[in-house]
Amino acid sequence: MILDPIVPRILSVRRIPGADPALLRAYGADPERHRALGLITCDQDDPTYVALDEATKHAAVDVVFARSFYAGSGHASGRLSGEILGVLAGADADEVDEGLAALVRCLEHDACFYKADDKGTITVFPHVIASLGRYLSAQAGLVAGQPMAYLVAPPMEATVGLDAALKAADVRAVKVFPPPTETNFAAAWLSGELAACQAAAEAFAAAVIEVGRVPRER
Amino acid sequence: MSFTRTMVQDLRVRLAGADPLPPPPPVPEIPLPPARVFPSPKRRSPFAAAAARHTTALVGIGHVGTRYATDVVLQFQAELAVAHGAVHTELPEDWAEKNGLLPLQSRVREHREFLLRPDLGRRLDEPSVARLRERGRKGVDIQPILADGLSAVACMGAGRELLDSFVKSCEARGFSVGTPVCARFARVWLEDEIGEVVGAKVAAILLGERPGLGTGDGLSAYLVYDPKVGRTDGNRNMMSNIHARGVPPEQAGKRLAALAGAMLTQRTSGVPLDLAPLRGELGDAVGGGYRAPDPRVRLVSVGEPK
Amino acid sequence: MNLSATIRGVVYRFGSVKEVLAKANPPKSGDDLAGVSAREPVERVAARAVLADLTLAELRQHPVVPYEVDELTRLVEHSLDAAAYDAVKHLSVGQFREWLLDTRTDGPTMRAVAPGLTPEMAAATCKLMSNMDLMVVGAKAQVVVRANNTLGLPGRLSSRLQPNHPTDDVDGILYSAREGLSYGCGDAVIGVNPATDTPESTAQILTRLHDLRVRNAIPTQHCVLSHVTVQMKALDLGCPMDLMFQSLAGSEKANKAFGISVGLIDEAYDKMRRLTSNRGPNVMYFETGQGSALSSDAHHGADQVTMEARCYGFARRYKPFLVNTVVGFIGPEYLEDGPQITRAGLEDHFMGKLLGLPMGCDACFTYHARMSQDELETLKVLLGAAGCTYLMSLPVGDDIMLNYQSTSFHDIPSVRGLLGKRAAPEFDAWLCERGILDGDKPGERFGDPTVLQ
Repeated sequence: MILDPIVPRILSVRRIPGADPALLRAYGADPERHRALGLITCDQDDPTYVALDEATKHAAVDVVFARSFYAGSGHASGRLSGEILGVLAGADADEVDEGLAALVRCLEHDACFYKADDKGTITVFPHVIASLGRYLSAQAGLVAGQPMAYLVAPPMEATVGLDAALKAADVRAVKVFPPPTETNFAAAWLSGELAACQAAAEAFAAAVIEVGRVPRER
Repeated sequence: MSFTRTMVQDLRVRLAGADPLPPPPPVPEIPLPPARVFPSPKRRSPFAAAAARHTTALVGIGHVGTRYATDVVLQFQAELAVAHGAVHTELPEDWAEKNGLLPLQSRVREHREFLLRPDLGRRLDEPSVARLRERGRKGVDIQPILADGLSAVACMGAGRELLDSFVKSCEARGFSVGTPVCARFARVWLEDEIGEVVGAKVAAILLGERPGLGTGDGLSAYLVYDPKVGRTDGNRNMMSNIHARGVPPEQAGKRLAALAGAMLTQRTSGVPLDLAPLRGELGDAVGGGYRAPDPRVRLVSVGEPK
Repeated sequence: MNLSATIRGVVYRFGSVKEVLAKANPPKSGDDLAGVSAREPVERVAARAVLADLTLAELRQHPVVPYEVDELTRLVEHSLDAAAYDAVKHLSVGQFREWLLDTRTDGPTMRAVAPGLTPEMAAATCKLMSNMDLMVVGAKAQVVVRANNTLGLPGRLSSRLQPNHPTDDVDGILYSAREGLSYGCGDAVIGVNPATDTPESTAQILTRLHDLRVRNAIPTQHCVLSHVTVQMKALDLGCPMDLMFQSLAGSEKANKAFGISVGLIDEAYDKMRRLTSNRGPNVMYFETGQGSALSSDAHHGADQVTMEARCYGFARRYKPFLVNTVVGFIGPEYLEDGPQITRAGLEDHFMGKLLGLPMGCDACFTYHARMSQDELETLKVLLGAAGCTYLMSLPVGDDIMLNYQSTSFHDIPSVRGLLGKRAAPEFDAWLCERGILDGDKPGERFGDPTVLQ
């Protein structure tokens, strides 16, 4: 059914309690402050970015590395690869564990793609973050604690949807990712009051569904 | 629930109004409905016709998919209704007196209890014992008992005819016959107490038998020599399938009188009774206990008979 | 051993395990007739609470008919498998119920425990189960048996063809048999209840049925349900006999009323194993039914469900090919109405399967029981869903000799179709080969008795 959640599959979760300094540096961590790493792979990248950000709100961890894989989970390099590797870094293993727990919780119960047509051949990610963490706020150039709409869909649907979202409420595009991204989607981050972010996300989802129903106007 | 999931769920409800149903599948061409398959007597399959010479089982009846044709359903339901009707009809309380019979009743008070408590149906209630003591002829050869059993319909139908034929045949043989009684809510073994109270040599209970499909009018007769409470089935002889299409009541009465005569002569009944000398007189209806085939009649026809 | 329970401050005390078993039973007119049932619904639940807390070991120690007076109790006691019993003896009846319902407890596991269970344990568990509980566990239990074909495989529903005739007219019997086979019935057995109980007529019917089977190469079995002593004499006459039949009851005294004993059935089984015309290894066929012990005043104060379970304790000694309860035949004084007959059918199937028998059911009513045709059809579907090994099958469900209503030739393909089940594999292949079936659909010759010679 339309808008059925497609729950992300967490493919692997590991931690490295005392990581080698060379490794820490290579993945963007600071050997002075960070000793432990927490790693995750998942078959949905954008929900994982949201979940990594969520982890920074629950534990003293930094998101030091998060990269999507080319062409997405349908073309993964192995059965555990999915379409993203995310890395949390913390002062010790306990902090990293706290962060990973929040991350997993978010992926299981909150952030996910939804079906935008009956069969799920089109998917949409109309996510509203009520309160940004330290990771995405820095990426977006916003202040932690502000709301943000995180919108993703395939190229055509996302483009039409973004226009609808921007016109639906008093929101500002802080970042637009035109296609192709690594996974060949398109995305945008919108800032505004929580209610405005919500209205924009709803308009985005509705437009994506509508494009799926009427792909050609002529 | 997360903020976004709640939001999306609400959105889904709102969008649902605009979510058109998939177009209905095209209507396929409708094939001709099946012809009626129940073999009416006129056009019955050769198999059904051949089978009918050997069995009353409903075979050669065809099918619609894996189920019955409508005609078969109606025939079956009519047969079932006749059987259920016979079981659930009660003998009216005044029926015995209206027919000039001494009314008796078992210890059963109502019909459901009759079905559930065979033990109560085998014993007389106290007023009946008193009435029988006061008004029943004592020390007779034969005590005839008409009873409802499991079909009051059969009792009220051919019951009187069977009783009269039996009494007349007994008298013709020179036996003394007790006051004819009619028992309500009666099981077979009730004859033991009735016979014991009047001191009869033989007790004979004629009662409605357990109905089969389409046959609620059959009577059975059970005779016992030296009736006493505590007799078992091994002490009895029986004749079943007494109705117009089986053993006709008139004929059954004569045969039963012959059976009673054998009991009086041999001073026993049940397993020890030697029936060999009576074969000719009794026909094949006595002893075996099984039902002779009951011809299957078509019960349902639409409209009125011409 | 605790025999009391308290509900809303009222203490219910019971005098014996037998009384607890009886009062824990759902309402049955036969238990009322025997005077052993609970006086009111709360007492019934109190009895179930007590029962749930008794261990299987305690049930073994308290059979409802004493060891000293009953050969069936002794038979069960002496033949109990020690290893299987040790695996479950510590469980309470309540725990055992939960163990059975647990999805991890599968068919083979249940089958392994069966030889360690006494009939009283099966009956006790039954009393704590709802109809759907009985179905869920019954459907898991798997008992596979083999004669000329294989019964009890998953996804299969078989049927006994019952072409009875009021005067044993063998041609009449064969007409009904051919009709039934053309509807896909008869893979469990073609079994005739004879009107005349003599070795000669038994042998005659058996011979003619055997000819029908051989002439048409039907992978099934045949049987004439006369008394076991009559069948033994028929075997002496040299006739082919695929299965030997006998009705069983739940106590030595009740079996005496049937004219049988453990010794006699031992003898019959031994003879049958030597002389049967079927490929085996299973050669016996038994029928049972709640209420039969009470009807010969041989219930020893026990309830009819427990007495029924004891029949299965007897039957399993002979590794039978078929066992079925004749659930509504006995009349309303034992099973009053549709709900009681339905319940009894599901109970008997569950208990039989639990004790390791290839349990079938004659879902039926007599015309003086309060059960409608619709209720009876419902019961057939329930039994099919519960994994019942086989049902009966007669022309329009009407037994023209025994005067009762059972499953019809048309019901068997209907229930199979509803539940996605098929006949025994060998028989199913034969049906397809003869055009009676086309895969899982009726074939061109479906319902056409002239397909058989």
